[in-house]
Amino acid sequence: MAGPELHFITIAEASRRISQRELSPVELTETYLQRISAIDNQLMSFVTLTAELARQRARAAEAEVMRNGPRSPLHGIPYCLKDIIETAGIRTTAQSKLLADHVPTKDAVVAQKLSAAGGILLGKTATWEFAHGGPSWDTLFPPAHNPWNPDHHPAGSSSGSGAAVAAGLAPATIGSDTGGSIRGPAAACGIAGLKPTYGLVSRRGVLPNCFSHDHVGPLAWTSQDVAILLSIVAGHDPADPGSADVPAKDYTAGLDAGIAGLVVGVPWHWLEEEAPLTAETRSGFDAALAVFRDLGAEIRAVEPPPMQLFNDAKKIIAMAELYSIHENDLKTRPELFGDSLRYRIIAGGLIRADDYVQAMRVRRDLAIAMQKLFTTIDLMLLPTGEPAGKLEPVPHSSLFTGPSYTTPLNVGGNPALAVCSGFAANGMPQSLQIAGRLFDDAVVLRAGHAYETATPWRSRRPILNPQPKQAVA
Amino acid sequence: MPPTPATRDEIAVLALRAGLELGAEHFDQLVDAYGHLEQMLGRIRSARSYADEPAHVFVPTKFLPTE
Repeated sequence: MAGPELHFITIAEASRRISQRELSPVELTETYLQRISAIDNQLMSFVTLTAELARQRARAAEAEVMRNGPRSPLHGIPYCLKDIIETAGIRTTAQSKLLADHVPTKDAVVAQKLSAAGGILLGKTATWEFAHGGPSWDTLFPPAHNPWNPDHHPAGSSSGSGAAVAAGLAPATIGSDTGGSIRGPAAACGIAGLKPTYGLVSRRGVLPNCFSHDHVGPLAWTSQDVAILLSIVAGHDPADPGSADVPAKDYTAGLDAGIAGLVVGVPWHWLEEEAPLTAETRSGFDAALAVFRDLGAEIRAVEPPPMQLFNDAKKIIAMAELYSIHENDLKTRPELFGDSLRYRIIAGGLIRADDYVQAMRVRRDLAIAMQKLFTTIDLMLLPTGEPAGKLEPVPHSSLFTGPSYTTPLNVGGNPALAVCSGFAANGMPQSLQIAGRLFDDAVVLRAGHAYETATPWRSRRPILNPQPKQAVA
Repeated sequence: MPPTPATRDEIAVLALRAGLELGAEHFDQLVDAYGHLEQMLGRIRSARSYADEPAHVFVPTKFLPTE
């Protein structure tokens, strides 16, 4: 790969070249820092840059690799973190004026793991406020923009993470997903993003959105890179009550095994009746299904419970939990919240205990139905959503009224991966969602890898040229 | 038939009971948001058997000391 294109290197390729001492972690880190400096004024994907720390760690990584070889596939490779993931000594704001001066004393478990693997933290990336309210212009930082067209949004809430990876500002990042906040930005920005099985990745040290539905997971350019990251961050954490006690594994093993013989379900009644797709998205989805058929998968219709019920149960639970987290601030300094976040949580204070329990009972029914459905199929396919629209204020109520193709997998806890599945006529990425059985994250990643290898979408990158800072709105 | 939506006065009582003392602008937000919440609540309320458990039953071993 030529020098100017080094910023688009995948984790897998960078890892191979570092292990063979063909690529310097110092050179790689400097490449990203220079690119961030040159173009992030158009994207606003980073809210805090840790350039000097990154240079120090890159020098240390380089010395260690030269001496002993890499200690992991991430050794010497830069990454960034969504700004709800706590980092010792580095401001962690959740994009909120409430946490403008919040400097944690401990790393979140995922940050510890990436650091221990020898990764190099470049900085913290933009999020919707507390991973829930946005896009907002009245929070601590402005919203991030989409690298495929900066007039468009990168979705949320892991907005800066999705934008940074797509733009070649970092090859790896960690986000969080409570109703679609990893998969939405991955889809909008044309990259891969995995919401792992609930409990597979520790949430400890990640500022909560809604305890019962929060998932922490990786975003990268390819499913293979996501698998590398998942292998590093997954693992049981006894101090996280939601953590699952399952053995650690290498999620890159068997990635090339293909998907011949797998049974794939499609919830057509969601896509045709409950929340019909646009003609262009439907056409892209049909083309993706044809690729799966060509790869040897069997496609069949499945009928999970109504999507609306998943969305209602999750949103009621989330409002109640979010309110309980933010109650004191809502009562004592409500003006410090962005309008969007305050609107979306304030009515949680009026939810009765019996309604919260009822929503949790509905969740149980839905989770049982989802897992029963997955006894008849290996994977479920559906679009991640419609391509990203213009970055402009949206009604705060859109979170309550808009259909979500991603939220049902949060309710069920199943792994779900977003992968790029083409481009709309306006150049914005389309995305396919691949969901699987609980703790079958490896199968989901295998399917994503098979699809990406069979299609040309990973060879297309956004074009961004340096612009004067004053040109940014 | 769905229940009648709560009036602003009724929402004010609920807010008072929750300890929320809101200015006019924030109270307007609450009224609007509560309208959407009511619709969602209406769709999930249904008769249940006594033993229908919620999704968050207590698992005591999750809370053993870790350090």
